[in-house]
Amino acid sequence: MMARAGRRRRIFPLLAAAAVWCACPGPVPAQDAKQKPDAALPDFGKPLRKPVRKKADPRAEQTAAGARLPDSAKEAVEADVSTRTIAVTSAFTGTEIVVFGSVVNSRQPSAEAGYYDVIVVLEGMPIPVTVRRKANVAGLWINTDAVNFESVPSFYAIASTRPIEEIADDALLERNAIGHDYARLSPAAHSVIETRPGEIKDYKDAVVRLKQKDGLYIKEDYAVIFIGKSLFRSSIALPANVPVGPMTARVYLFREGDLLSTFQSKVRLERSGIELWLYRAALHHPLYYGMAAVLIAALSGWLASMPFRRHPPA
Amino acid sequence: MHIYLPIAEMSANVLLFLGMGCAVGFLSGMFGVGGGFLMTPLLIFSGIPSAVAVGTGAAQIVASSVSGAIAQYRRNNVDIKMGLVLLAGGVVGSVIGVKMVRILRLAGQFDLFVALAYVTFLGVIGALMLIESIGAIQAARRGQARALRRSGQHNWIHKLPLKMRFHRSKLYISAIPPMMIGAFVGFLGAIMGAGGGFIMVPALIYLLRVPTNVVVGTSLFQIVFVAAVTTVMQSTENYSVDIVLALLLIVSGVIGAQYGAAAGARLKGEQLRLLLAALVLLVCARIGWDLIVTPPELFSITSFGGPR
Repeated sequence: MMARAGRRRRIFPLLAAAAVWCACPGPVPAQDAKQKPDAALPDFGKPLRKPVRKKADPRAEQTAAGARLPDSAKEAVEADVSTRTIAVTSAFTGTEIVVFGSVVNSRQPSAEAGYYDVIVVLEGMPIPVTVRRKANVAGLWINTDAVNFESVPSFYAIASTRPIEEIADDALLERNAIGHDYARLSPAAHSVIETRPGEIKDYKDAVVRLKQKDGLYIKEDYAVIFIGKSLFRSSIALPANVPVGPMTARVYLFREGDLLSTFQSKVRLERSGIELWLYRAALHHPLYYGMAAVLIAALSGWLASMPFRRHPPA
Repeated sequence: MHIYLPIAEMSANVLLFLGMGCAVGFLSGMFGVGGGFLMTPLLIFSGIPSAVAVGTGAAQIVASSVSGAIAQYRRNNVDIKMGLVLLAGGVVGSVIGVKMVRILRLAGQFDLFVALAYVTFLGVIGALMLIESIGAIQAARRGQARALRRSGQHNWIHKLPLKMRFHRSKLYISAIPPMMIGAFVGFLGAIMGAGGGFIMVPALIYLLRVPTNVVVGTSLFQIVFVAAVTTVMQSTENYSVDIVLALLLIVSGVIGAQYGAAAGARLKGEQLRLLLAALVLLVCARIGWDLIVTPPELFSITSFGGPR
């Protein structure tokens, strides 16, 4: 827990050390409790068994979705992001977030071994979206049908050690909303009733396709890299048009198709400086903002024409 | 060089938008149109969300029209009285128009309505102007002075009550037609994200027979105020005025408008009309093309702006 709080690079050796030593029983079950409360809770507070090789840990069977670990202590993943708060100022042209973490109880012999798979998902806040479809009516292309989605992730970046289809099966990916195809797009109730199920799929695909086109749904295979036996990192580029708002970084640890552990962290993307001031003014005082806009526009228009008063361009 | 736009929520290339403002400003000063009918599609093509393009365009029109109107006023080309009558109608039209934008956006038919409005009005007006100006230029070449103003001619417009004398325009007509034109232009202008000069100018020339040199200044005068009302309305109804983007466009647009006004003063009236007609038809064709051709993407997504 305390290791997670650090966000500087000097925390890396600390994390690594924690991974190697890994004797702290507190944080690990606590993390599991967050992800799978029913499975992990009974274990909470249990003294950690002495690591004995080649003996199955009973907890592993419960927590890791049937994963039978040959070794003793169960792996867990801990991670953090390089920047918890990103300021969107007038100079904002996108930024890069580094998600780093380590595998607690790593049994990976080296960074290149490919023993574990890690998937990092960085998701923007859910927003309501209306998707419309055009049809040809009397020669013109017109929006004829629409499906409302109550929530669609405004941004969805995924990075992984290798293509996610190779890491886990579809059911597991879908359950954890990993991958663009399984991002949580919830259609509004009335749209579900009005539209055929097969068509809803078309609309969902369209959302993902259009978001990908806008650079808001990003997928990077091989973008998570192990630096040591337990340490990994991944950098995700946020585009300049990233929707401002809270984001969630989720980290999944896989071993041979089984989900071993997950971790979640928050990233805040917020306006700052004059951007924040203007945005607040526009949103909370739209009338004054509008009048000020007119005044500024008229004044700047008039002032800029002043130099031409005496010397009009011939 | 990039700057982040607070309302459009995107990073924009400063030079691109400065150049865009300059070019549109030049045309605005030259023809006496607000430039919105060029600016709005240009902004949308460059990736600005359409609602923000429409809202910000209104603020930009205020500024570019102010400098254009001042430039015209100095040339004594503004009929203030006519402008005020047009304005009275324009404000009413604009208020209705902005409300209509909201309704159409919620129904998902805003884009279609805008496109149809553009194609219809740009097409009709552009074609009429093109035919008329070509005729005028040919007549001028043959050495005939072709009277555009047939002042002796009386039609139904002259039978309406509430007659007023417009000295600068040398007209004695009812106040109802200019007010109706103002309202109609204000309504369409708000919906199309434009000041409406491209409708106002031909309407004044061909319907009311206002002299061409006065038309440009009077139209700009009226546009300043209608655009101001539209800007405030767009801010309160749609939260879609990006002042940073507007300022970029304003600074460049104002300078462009000055040179445009000077260039326009050196061109003959019929040449101006021919150029404007060509420009109007070009924009019309571009928008019409998108309506007819099978779009590569049938789906579109909108996440409504406003309080988030």
